[in-house]
Amino acid sequence: MEQKKLNPELVKLVEEWKGKEGNLIMILHEIQNHHGYVPRELSLELSKMLEVPLARIYEVITFYNFFKLSPPGKHLIKLCMGTACYLRGAGIILDEIKNILGVKEGESTKDNLFHLDVVRCLGCCGLAPVLMIDEKVYSKVKKAEVADILSKYIKEE
Amino acid sequence: MYEKTILIKDTDTKREDLTRQAYTQILDFLRHNDQHSRIQVVRVADIGLYDKGLVIKILPEQITYANVKEDDLKRIADAISFNKGRVEDLVYKPKSKQERLVLKNCGRIDPESIDDYIACGGYLGLKQAIELKEDKVIEEIKTSGIRGRGGAGYPTWMKWNFAREVASDQKFVICNADEGDPGAYMDRSILEGDPHAVLEGLIIAAFAVGASKGYFYVRAEYPLAVERINKAIKQAYDCGLLGQNILGSSFGLDLEIRLGAGAFVCGEETALISSIEGKRGTPHPRPPYPSVKGLWGKPTVINNVETLANIPQILLKGGAWFAKIGTATSKGTKVFAVTGKVKNSGLVEIAMGATLREIVMDICGGTLTGKPIKAVQTGGPSGGVIPEHLLDTPVDYENLQKLGSIMGSGGMIVMDDDDCMVDIPKFYLGFCVEESCGKCSPCRIGGFQMLGYLKKITEGAGNINDIAQLKRISYAMQKASLCGLGQTASNPVLSTLKYFEKEYIEHIENKHCPAGKCSHLVTYSVIEEKCKRCGLCFTNCPVSAITGDKEKGYSVIQEKCIKCGKCFEVCKFRAINKK
Amino acid sequence: MVRLTPESLDKISKEPCDKPANWIKVGMSSCGIAAGADEVFNFLSEEVKKRNLNVEVKKCGCQGNCYAEPLVEVSIEGLPSVTYGRVNRDIANKIIEKHVIGKMLVNDCIYNTVD
Repeated sequence: MEQKKLNPELVKLVEEWKGKEGNLIMILHEIQNHHGYVPRELSLELSKMLEVPLARIYEVITFYNFFKLSPPGKHLIKLCMGTACYLRGAGIILDEIKNILGVKEGESTKDNLFHLDVVRCLGCCGLAPVLMIDEKVYSKVKKAEVADILSKYIKEE
Repeated sequence: MYEKTILIKDTDTKREDLTRQAYTQILDFLRHNDQHSRIQVVRVADIGLYDKGLVIKILPEQITYANVKEDDLKRIADAISFNKGRVEDLVYKPKSKQERLVLKNCGRIDPESIDDYIACGGYLGLKQAIELKEDKVIEEIKTSGIRGRGGAGYPTWMKWNFAREVASDQKFVICNADEGDPGAYMDRSILEGDPHAVLEGLIIAAFAVGASKGYFYVRAEYPLAVERINKAIKQAYDCGLLGQNILGSSFGLDLEIRLGAGAFVCGEETALISSIEGKRGTPHPRPPYPSVKGLWGKPTVINNVETLANIPQILLKGGAWFAKIGTATSKGTKVFAVTGKVKNSGLVEIAMGATLREIVMDICGGTLTGKPIKAVQTGGPSGGVIPEHLLDTPVDYENLQKLGSIMGSGGMIVMDDDDCMVDIPKFYLGFCVEESCGKCSPCRIGGFQMLGYLKKITEGAGNINDIAQLKRISYAMQKASLCGLGQTASNPVLSTLKYFEKEYIEHIENKHCPAGKCSHLVTYSVIEEKCKRCGLCFTNCPVSAITGDKEKGYSVIQEKCIKCGKCFEVCKFRAINKK
Repeated sequence: MVRLTPESLDKISKEPCDKPANWIKVGMSSCGIAAGADEVFNFLSEEVKKRNLNVEVKKCGCQGNCYAEPLVEVSIEGLPSVTYGRVNRDIANKIIEKHVIGKMLVNDCIYNTVD
């Protein structure tokens, strides 16, 4: 298993946040920004640095939907399942993605190319249904377009 | 250079579009009058009116003509060519107009420029607040009558006053930007479009209550809003509008951003406080209320983004000015995010007291497909549905509550008869069950139980006693849940039962979904008159549940049909009935 | 940036709003960007620079007509200020050539007029 250590930048960040009350969630955000998830080894290190029991760190990570405990796939798919997107067919888009990639919500594909998350709500309801892959937003997505959209990322590999 | 402009749009969607024809005719009349180089004619994509026939707008005079007939075009052309004034019998005055108070700078100024904000009167509200002193500021807020825009509608002045009256060495202010209602994005737009207005409101709040530290608690799912608020805070520090001795006074404030992490419950005040404290976002019993004992045990005022965005103008123009807008109990304007099966989805800001019909039909153009509205849902997962026959209700806090819904944060979802009134509460309840923090049994267990019943009903396994059970559990959750999430999670169920109980019964007794939404309860059949006998449905059916051939035509064997909907999807002639 | 005082705020508020005569504003909130507003903004900025036009291209927040994003508001002296909607590169090009240079509003693309 790859040994993960807090890189010097993150050590500096933790030092910076150490004096601030309620710092845990912001530090976890920074770790996830850097690694894509919160590795267990880093949670252990963080527990020592912040002098907080590991259980406290895990209770926060597991409470909030945002944080991941395992590495996501290379491309993060976020499908909005807000009310407007739901009414305009996001459920059908979700089924199509699940069908094509063979994954359920919260899972990564076997080749680790995609990770599928269902989110609520991205706040782009005027463009429902909305799908985000990494930073790119696809709006007014139709079922027939899903395969094409995903194939762009497959072709890049 | 053109002196005048004629804009043309045919807004009647039930017949052939006459925009181009009318455009050509008016242009011909103008050429005949030798006025075509003085008056420009333009076809537009949207003229702001709907179902008003052919609409013509004259600029710069801002005259609007509606329901214009072909015979009227010459009169209009002559009137404008020879400066004959208005064609009075065709003049149309829109009944309701948006009033952009909160959104006044959105779409106007560069949100990343404090100079733009100040040039439009920015931070004069703060200046006024400091001159008035704290007690007078709270009085202005009281006079204005503004109520919290996050959903609860609590009088803002009271919250501030409670915090002000508590003696404490430290007080906090928090901007609640954890906009979690699915389908609502008003706060995101305000933060991205006019972050300084929210910032100014928060600084004024801190001044009024005596807080020296504040936080923006923003959803992590709003990175652009976070970026713009960050920039705004930095610019404010650089200009001396944050930090010590703000505008030469003894008042000082430090602000920070804290990110949410995908927990809907953290929109609730006490859960939000837990989250800023770095803990799981579980709510706490109230009293004590955050105004008295909040963040780290200190008096804390938490206000919604839209509430704060109103504050600078209230200080600048006075509470009495604000109180003139709206209804007797609900002052000011409200920003709504109108989405769903609506033609023109977007943000609408309108004075309290406007009717739902004005908002959905007049401003947003009615339903997407032209089908009649079935209901409008307000208040997100804590709200309820308002059926079509009640859409003339003026929107305010009390009226919506009387109808079994709530104002909520401003999400307004338009539904037509393709939306199922059992599926919608199932969707919302599914959301609440997922987002429940799990701390209290009524919410954790009650929500789960209710969802189970709704799933049964939508899958054709419902029982008529399920309705009474749903009501029983709902009342228990309302009375006994620890926080607003659990207390209001049953609202969509109770509201749909109130107005659409027949639909529940249809699902239960006849195993049929009238909207054609619940996949287990729809029937697919071939519409013979429309069927072109292409055989696409036959070849695509995964279980060979379609029988027939190109001569005799096709039909669905209901006993074999697994209701996957493939035939409906592939048919190019809409010849498959799904009901 | 200069530290503001009550007097300097007062002074700024009394000054006439020194708006440029000609400007183009592109709605750049999340919904606008999701619909492609950043490409439109970049295209318009480049064209204005390339053709040496006396027009300021700015970004702004959400105007409210989210169904018609990307939205571009154009104000050119002598013409009514209008908002174009569903703007793509092709329509952006027409805005430059027809509206800004040709001083004529573009047909079939206007979603709002500024009152």
